[in-house]
Amino acid sequence: MTTTKRDKSLIVIQLTGGNDYLNTVVPYGEGRYYDSRSTVNIPQDRVIPLDGKVGFNPSMGAMKSLWDEGKVAVINGIGYQTPNRSHFRSMDIWHTAEPDAIGKEGWLGRAIRDFDPGGENVLTGINFGRGLPRSLACQGVSVASVGDLATYGLFPDVEDEELRMFTLEAFARMYGNTAGRDPVLNFLGQTGQDALHGADILRTAPAMYSSSVEYAPNSLAQNVKSISQVFHAGLGARVLYTTHASFDTHSGELPTHAKLWDEVSGAVGCLMDDLKEHGREDDAAILIFSEFGRRIKDNGSGSDHGSGGVAFLIGGAVEGGMYGEYPSLAEAEQLEGDLRSNNDFRSVYTDILEDWWGLDAAPIVNGQFEKLNVFRS
Amino acid sequence: MISNDTALMAHLLRRAGFGASRDELEKYLAMGYDGAVETLLNPSDPGNMPDDLIRRYHVEQSELRDLAGSAAYWMYRMISTTSPMEEKIALFWHSLFATGYAKLNQARSLLNQVDMFRRSGLENFQDLLLELSRDPAMILWLDNNENHGTAVNENYGRELLELFSMGIGNYSEDDVKECARAFTGWTLGNAEYMAIRAAKDSIWPYGRIAWHFEYRDEDHDGGEKTFLGETGRFNGEDIIAIIVKQESTARFLATRLFEFFAADKVTEAGEKVIGEMMATYFSSGYQVRDMLRTLFHSDYFRSEEARFARVKGPAEMVVGAIRMAGNYQNPALGIEKVSNAMLYMGQGLLQPPSVEGWHEGLEWINSGALVERVNFAAKELSNVKSPGVRSIIDRLEAGSKNGVIEPTDLADRCLDLLGPIQVSEDTRSVLVDYATRQGDLHLAGHQPGDEAEQRVGNMLRLVAATKEYQLA
Amino acid sequence: MSTQTQSPSIALDYVKTIGIVNNGLNGRGFANPYDTAVDSDGNIYVLNRCDPARASAIRVGVCNLDEEYLREFGRGNGSGDGQFIWVVAMALGSGNRLFITDEYNHRVTVYDTGGNYLSHWGVAGSGDGELNGPAGIAIDSTGSVIVVDQHNSRVQKFTDDGKFIAAWGSFGSGEGQFNLPWGVAVDGQDNVYVCDWRNDRIQKFSNDGEFLAAYGEPGYGEGQFQRPTGVAVDPEGFIYVADWGNERVQVLGPDGGFQLLLHGEATVSKWAEDYFASNPEEKAERDSANLKPDLPSHLNTPYHVSSQTEPYFWGPVSVTLDSQGRLYVAETNRHRLQVYRKR
Repeated sequence: MTTTKRDKSLIVIQLTGGNDYLNTVVPYGEGRYYDSRSTVNIPQDRVIPLDGKVGFNPSMGAMKSLWDEGKVAVINGIGYQTPNRSHFRSMDIWHTAEPDAIGKEGWLGRAIRDFDPGGENVLTGINFGRGLPRSLACQGVSVASVGDLATYGLFPDVEDEELRMFTLEAFARMYGNTAGRDPVLNFLGQTGQDALHGADILRTAPAMYSSSVEYAPNSLAQNVKSISQVFHAGLGARVLYTTHASFDTHSGELPTHAKLWDEVSGAVGCLMDDLKEHGREDDAAILIFSEFGRRIKDNGSGSDHGSGGVAFLIGGAVEGGMYGEYPSLAEAEQLEGDLRSNNDFRSVYTDILEDWWGLDAAPIVNGQFEKLNVFRS
Repeated sequence: MISNDTALMAHLLRRAGFGASRDELEKYLAMGYDGAVETLLNPSDPGNMPDDLIRRYHVEQSELRDLAGSAAYWMYRMISTTSPMEEKIALFWHSLFATGYAKLNQARSLLNQVDMFRRSGLENFQDLLLELSRDPAMILWLDNNENHGTAVNENYGRELLELFSMGIGNYSEDDVKECARAFTGWTLGNAEYMAIRAAKDSIWPYGRIAWHFEYRDEDHDGGEKTFLGETGRFNGEDIIAIIVKQESTARFLATRLFEFFAADKVTEAGEKVIGEMMATYFSSGYQVRDMLRTLFHSDYFRSEEARFARVKGPAEMVVGAIRMAGNYQNPALGIEKVSNAMLYMGQGLLQPPSVEGWHEGLEWINSGALVERVNFAAKELSNVKSPGVRSIIDRLEAGSKNGVIEPTDLADRCLDLLGPIQVSEDTRSVLVDYATRQGDLHLAGHQPGDEAEQRVGNMLRLVAATKEYQLA
Repeated sequence: MSTQTQSPSIALDYVKTIGIVNNGLNGRGFANPYDTAVDSDGNIYVLNRCDPARASAIRVGVCNLDEEYLREFGRGNGSGDGQFIWVVAMALGSGNRLFITDEYNHRVTVYDTGGNYLSHWGVAGSGDGELNGPAGIAIDSTGSVIVVDQHNSRVQKFTDDGKFIAAWGSFGSGEGQFNLPWGVAVDGQDNVYVCDWRNDRIQKFSNDGEFLAAYGEPGYGEGQFQRPTGVAVDPEGFIYVADWGNERVQVLGPDGGFQLLLHGEATVSKWAEDYFASNPEEKAERDSANLKPDLPSHLNTPYHVSSQTEPYFWGPVSVTLDSQGRLYVAETNRHRLQVYRKR
């Protein structure tokens, strides 16, 4: 466990809604794919081939370039033993690393607590988007939730800058006195100061950043740009999280899925260019995951909730390539009409926690899981 | 100066409701404290926004397929009710009998459960536990649909004792098993089809199908059971009749009510009140309303000690600010943003994190949640276009001499009209300094949205941002 | 299932169900449909109100009786040209033009049936020709556009390019008065029928606004209504009413007398069949379930019964007739159309 390892950051892009594995990493060499996907398929001549058997969705050009550079790990057949096909529950399972009971703590929340047990840096974990994904939730861990980096903090709706400044000054005075006799008011005061402090620091990030990379105007790309700004500002953020939706493609899947992956792949391409430009390629890893994959057989317009899915780990420190077997589409190998997962998601978590961050993974992911060795040693 | 009557009534309305605008407060003051307690405890015409209007403009609140629309639907009820206790008690039971959307994927049935809390939440605790045990959302939430005569699933039986009535340490593992046996066969209609739809989050082909209770006698274990020392061929009703007789049940319920309605921390004086509420529990035949009456009339509750002794929960924060501002009194675009605000503060309606409910009190507060709380209340209460804020401006002017308000008065009057809120001298001096920056406020001849009005809005924003505003 | 009077002079046969819930932003299926229109080629246009999460995809979906999903058009959430916020109703006019009301933007937007945005007209207000929450819309034989101006408690008549012709009505419950009116239809003589929503009745007017009759009263019985939302009149003068709050459709005779009730009897659409083909384990459980269960007494309101009983209408908001005498009932909460045909 070294301090340098502890400086590494993880950037998470959560694909909410259940990304269709079969149309993301397409088994175009497999006749059963086209048999089952008579309507909702990627024609062979449009797939971006990777290894002669499977290929990327045609919208994933930027990710293919990164693949060629050996920076993309494709983690096949990821999931857990008894699949849950409910969005909320399955996402909770991924967030809490707890498939059997209702978990109360997020795995990244626990990691943040390990990094910063005293809660000294409220920017150790940041979500870009409103609210807080459960993966970041953990009792006693403060995580910043940044809807819009430009206006982040208190009183964002006060447009008059002078008025906002006066109001913030008053707030600072009201929350600054924590020497009173009432422990509740003292705690509120301390928390208010933390909030002000975090916002003050965070707002400096955009000014400390310059880059020639131009991110697309879509919401994911803009959140990823904010991630890049905060990462490069060196504020000690270890977990930078954002989500993209909706991958719940029951209907009209082909155009929707193509657009979503164009956005994801494009944002990841920009981020990697940005990291390269700043010489930080080896200091950040990008995890892309979804709560489940989708049914093998299409429904005539889209595809329904399934089990085994795909995750990606991307970065300069990542050993690119295929991890695990692509699950068989043979009927006998299927699990209730779905791809049978053959990689436990907690294995990837273990790789990240131990090899990337040097943390003790078992208490965070609730057990021992064999690593995939995705990071270069 | 603010009279103690006013401060006490505001306190009561923060606990038995979501706080009160001055108009509302005056209505209750006219009833006197006892009259107000009775009015609150006996919700009659709740004056809610009517369902037909909600359904017409909000298709998502008619169908209730997804969480967002369903939480927003309840939000309308809380915002528009003239019987706030009805919603507050429903919120109490929702926090205690915490049933969550994530596993069920069935919001209509969750809202039916909340309706049951409104209907029965102030009545007999024995009846309430019976309705809870027959509630299809609860049945699926705690796997009682998997509790068969031939294969017992203990989940509901255990939580009924541990989290819903007696509390851990007051029964044995054997009691749990026997309790579970008694509830075998208590399931929901089309249980197997509904379970697979819930597990897959299936809305197919035509949206959700809501749930109802079904008792399957052939799946019930009719054998003899021994529960808490009594023996018989008990069914669920018999088990509940035994549970409610226990002193531990009385203590459990009195304590939970006390913590939700009186104070986050139970002090020695609080213990005494809990004892009185337990006595009422038995003497009244398990009536929740009577227990609350005992609480609200107790010296403790009426004392300064109980005031601001709770951290506002997100529901109180959001609903309180909206009601004070007088917004969303008719169906309006964007109501789901209001319920989302609660979620961002850490309390997603209909989605408690687990069957244990939310961690309340000081645990509501962390830096992310505090930013959300302050920003929400500050924005809501500083908007001088809102009817409630306009009414505050009018009251300020009416209470002034020729429309001139000195800075100290501006701070004090805003604290009064938003509560009255009691603040520390430190806080007050910051508010006064802030007001002093621009000297006397001249409200005479004010026009909607002009600078004078906005100064009031600015003051209200800062009051809403105080530490003390975080407390109920 | 239909309940009939002793000697009804009309009979309706159930034909089929078209639809499936669409929780995405495009493609086959419907998202809280609010109205339908059918053209002479049998194309069915379905106006999707959409919930806030899907507001960027408020659209008209086009399909046919063979359940082919043909295309869709409309521009999501906003007030720009061709955009919508709260769509309510739709009427098909000459030149293959669809007139769509938007009660939030206070205007009527016109698209052609090929999906091209043409224009919009109407401004917010209460003066002549101004609108406050336009709801139902119908087009008479001369091409005039009749718009229910709900919050102004009146009906207004316009030329097809939005020039004011006439207005009638005020707030209240007397003859010719309205309380949040919604749907509207014209009959073969260009008489105007208005769903006087919160007065639980249908009012009939001459084409220039003279009050002729009112049908119905609040209630759950035959000939009584709970918040009627949609109305249609066939060539013989039978009046079809979407009795929304009662979760049913009622048919009245030309004299307004009660004829029959429909409660809904939806079956599995082709699109639903496709879903079950890829989800056989769910189908197996469905096949052994009772989709018309007996319910506990506290759930015995029409709304709750329909929320639990999938074949019944739930949120039957509009009734539309095609030239073959077929009746299309759009159900907001079930994302489908039930089709009936006059025997």
